[in-house]
Amino acid sequence: MLELAVGIILGCCALGAGICMGIGAIGPGIGEGHAVANACEAIGRQPESKSAVTSTMIMGCAVAETTGIYSLVIAILLIFVAPITMVNMLKSLL
Amino acid sequence: MKKIDQTVVKETIYVAVWVLILSALMVAVFLLLGKWDLSVLWGSLYGSFAAILNFFLLGIGVQIAVAKEDPAEAKKVIRTSHSLRFLLLMILVVVGVVVPWFHSVASVVPLLFPRIGLFFRPRFGGMDEEGGA
Repeated sequence: MLELAVGIILGCCALGAGICMGIGAIGPGIGEGHAVANACEAIGRQPESKSAVTSTMIMGCAVAETTGIYSLVIAILLIFVAPITMVNMLKSLL
Repeated sequence: MKKIDQTVVKETIYVAVWVLILSALMVAVFLLLGKWDLSVLWGSLYGSFAAILNFFLLGIGVQIAVAKEDPAEAKKVIRTSHSLRFLLLMILVVVGVVVPWFHSVASVVPLLFPRIGLFFRPRFGGMDEEGGA
């Protein structure tokens, strides 16, 4: 019974980490793509603004990417920290 | 090899300074909590290196993307850059958590420091009214 419970916990943690990374990485990828495509068009219209647009783009992309990094941290916690904590909790309960 | 844009270098230096300051603060917090050991120092240095490297590679990716004439091609470049950087970051984070020389928390938390630096960018970064540096 304990083995089954531990297996379910490990499986759920792995599944959660996978979903977290998958969904967390899609958003920044789409957002950065749109932003850079529009920046490209803007530079095409006004080539003299390239430096300002590049600077703003770097910051915008870094901000957009933060959600991806959050999801990465959560996924790492789910893989390395949550299973040990939950299995220990389960063992102490039983 | 393509020359690195001065804007990318400037932004990376700005973020690197913030990351190092905040890492020092984090190490100080560990010291105050009485949980400091050498792995915290190595972990914070490793995490800072990963955060700065990620930001620098992002800058290079943006530089290459905005140099493209076609927006669809620029989109493809930045998405490829995003995927590869994420993969690199994942490997670096797993190494930081698994290797016992690095404190796991101290090596993961600095990845979030560039966001804090960028939050204060309009105040300390000397941006003009149009948003450029």
